Amino acid sequence: MQFNRDAPGTELQSEINITPLVDVVLVLLIIFMVVVPLLMRGYDVDMARTSAEPVPAQTAEERLILSIEPTACRVLEPPAGEGLPADCRVTLNDQKIPASELSSRVAQILGGQSAEKRVLFLAADDRLNYEGVLRILDLAKSDVEGLKVEFIPTD
Amino acid sequence: MRLGEPGKMQSTINITPLVDVVLVLLIIFMVMAPEMRKGPDVNLPNTTKPSEQGDERGRVLVSIDEKGALWINDQMVAAQDFGDALRTAAADDPDSRIVIRGDARLNFREIRQAMLAIEQAGFRGVGLIANRAGAQGEAHAIQ
Repeated sequence: MQFNRDAPGTELQSEINITPLVDVVLVLLIIFMVVVPLLMRGYDVDMARTSAEPVPAQTAEERLILSIEPTACRVLEPPAGEGLPADCRVTLNDQKIPASELSSRVAQILGGQSAEKRVLFLAADDRLNYEGVLRILDLAKSDVEGLKVEFIPTD
Repeated sequence: MRLGEPGKMQSTINITPLVDVVLVLLIIFMVMAPEMRKGPDVNLPNTTKPSEQGDERGRVLVSIDEKGALWINDQMVAAQDFGDALRTAAADDPDSRIVIRGDARLNFREIRQAMLAIEQAGFRGVGLIANRAGAQGEAHAIQ
């Protein structure tokens, strides 16, 4: 502080200013205290009623059914890394499509529908890995707001 | 404030003890956080865009560990007692929110059976809990 050397009444501040440190630590503490009650993330799903009770908003023909076969999408073990195997194919209303096109196809079909008709029926094979099924579900939901998912039994 | 120095008051609050206390609290919380989870350790599936499911309070947690054993909150239950235990845990309120924390290594069969059992116990709709995979945002493209 060359300039102030001779000025009377000024002194070099010799202590570290720890106020910002305290601020940061307090904020961290508050974050931890708030997060500890454990926020969870996930997917809301439903089981389609197997009884004769019809689904009100949809007739059987209008349903959008996504089925996942272990022969077309080999996720019998937790998929490595993120995403799905590149050759994974799923069946959307009897049409085989690569999983990479799934989100855009679902958005195309259901995007214009009214909210109560935005239902995707998911028929996932029992042998599939759970994480793989969830990743496909994640992909299917990703481009449509408020998409409801109902699981239906495979044939 | 050196001794003998003529009267200069220390004008700042000494916050060192405060910092000490706060740091200790922080460390306690960091250590305790994983311990406070209800239920068994479950290796949750990683997906890109799981939506908010709120926090654990007010939810009934159904966990399925890697061996396929069922847990309700903190207790392991046998499959044949599952329905009754679930109704007890939900205090017989059919509007209780139920979430499934299933292990990523399980087959879908175990999850589907648990969902069926939950529905048979009189509850509608479950949340399937997942972790959000790394914060690389839109990296959900197929590998």
